[in-house]
Amino acid sequence: MLELLTVVLAVDGKAFFENPAYLLGIPLIAVGALGALLALTPIELKWPQPAPPEEEYEILDHAPGDHPDAAEYVKVGLILAVITAVEVAVYYVDALEGALLAILLILSAAKFVLVALWFMHLRFDNRLLSIAFSGGMLLVAALFVIVLSTLGASLV
Amino acid sequence: MAHAATVDEHATNTGIDNRKLLMWLFLASECLFFGGLIGTYLLYRNSSIEGPYPTDRVIDGVAYSGLFDIPFTSISAFVLLMSSVTMVLALSAIQRNDRRGLQIWLAATALLGMTFLAGQAFEFTEFYNEGLTLNSNLFGTTFFVLTGFHGAHVSVGVLILLSLWIMARRGRITSENALNVELAGLYWHFVDVVWIVIFTLVYLLQ
Repeated sequence: MLELLTVVLAVDGKAFFENPAYLLGIPLIAVGALGALLALTPIELKWPQPAPPEEEYEILDHAPGDHPDAAEYVKVGLILAVITAVEVAVYYVDALEGALLAILLILSAAKFVLVALWFMHLRFDNRLLSIAFSGGMLLVAALFVIVLSTLGASLV
Repeated sequence: MAHAATVDEHATNTGIDNRKLLMWLFLASECLFFGGLIGTYLLYRNSSIEGPYPTDRVIDGVAYSGLFDIPFTSISAFVLLMSSVTMVLALSAIQRNDRRGLQIWLAATALLGMTFLAGQAFEFTEFYNEGLTLNSNLFGTTFFVLTGFHGAHVSVGVLILLSLWIMARRGRITSENALNVELAGLYWHFVDVVWIVIFTLVYLLQ
């Protein structure tokens, strides 16, 4: 920690403009300090309150359906931890080198889906939210296919 | 056993609170933001004509040792993943109107987020000391821009969590306005899933 602090304090002008840790870190620290200052000031901050429900409007679908309880969240968390451990283990197994790309992509996708479905509640919420997020993912997929294939990038 | 979530709702055409829909649309747009950065990294992967390089390699008889420290980054990834668990436990707590639990889990999430950021700052500093800068080679440019922007998002998330924690300490978050915690959680989980992708595509796939 002391060594890290020494390095940070010993920065010269050239290093500042070359090192992303300073370029991104210092503005972020400034923003963080400002945020903390604002948070600690006794200014009354109020979140916008929603309008009360009007009976003539029908709520088509309650956005937050029945969410899982804490025990189920912990179970999903344990599964995610195990998948991460398997990912790292697979990385070090030479015998799996040929299948490494496929295995890592599948495990990564599994973690992504678990977090999105359970922790972000897409499994339980209004399907419109899944459609909105899937739209973003589809656009990314299109971007990857078009850019990476036409410009010749490869994962292997 | 599932329990009904208590979130402030009001009538909308979609049946979804406008703030929640807006957050999801924002996250969808963020997919493209990070998709562009990850795509750029992949495009220029292994294209650097001079070191430092991410992994060990021999070029023209000269051995270069790689910068990536997979065990260290694995721990960082694990820390961020576990912060998603604590975040969702914070939401679960306030939906049961457990204000004490909310404070504890929010603080835990913020601490885990700050631990991740400290790890990233350490990693960046180590890489810089090894000669990797934003303009040293294509690896440096694409790596720092991608992971730096992710770190910036985590930093914003930590600020949101700390703000919520202060509000919770002052008793201003209840099960009636648990949506505030849910929205922060959505942002936090998104930052986590982005790191899941970065960890695999940038660090593990070589």
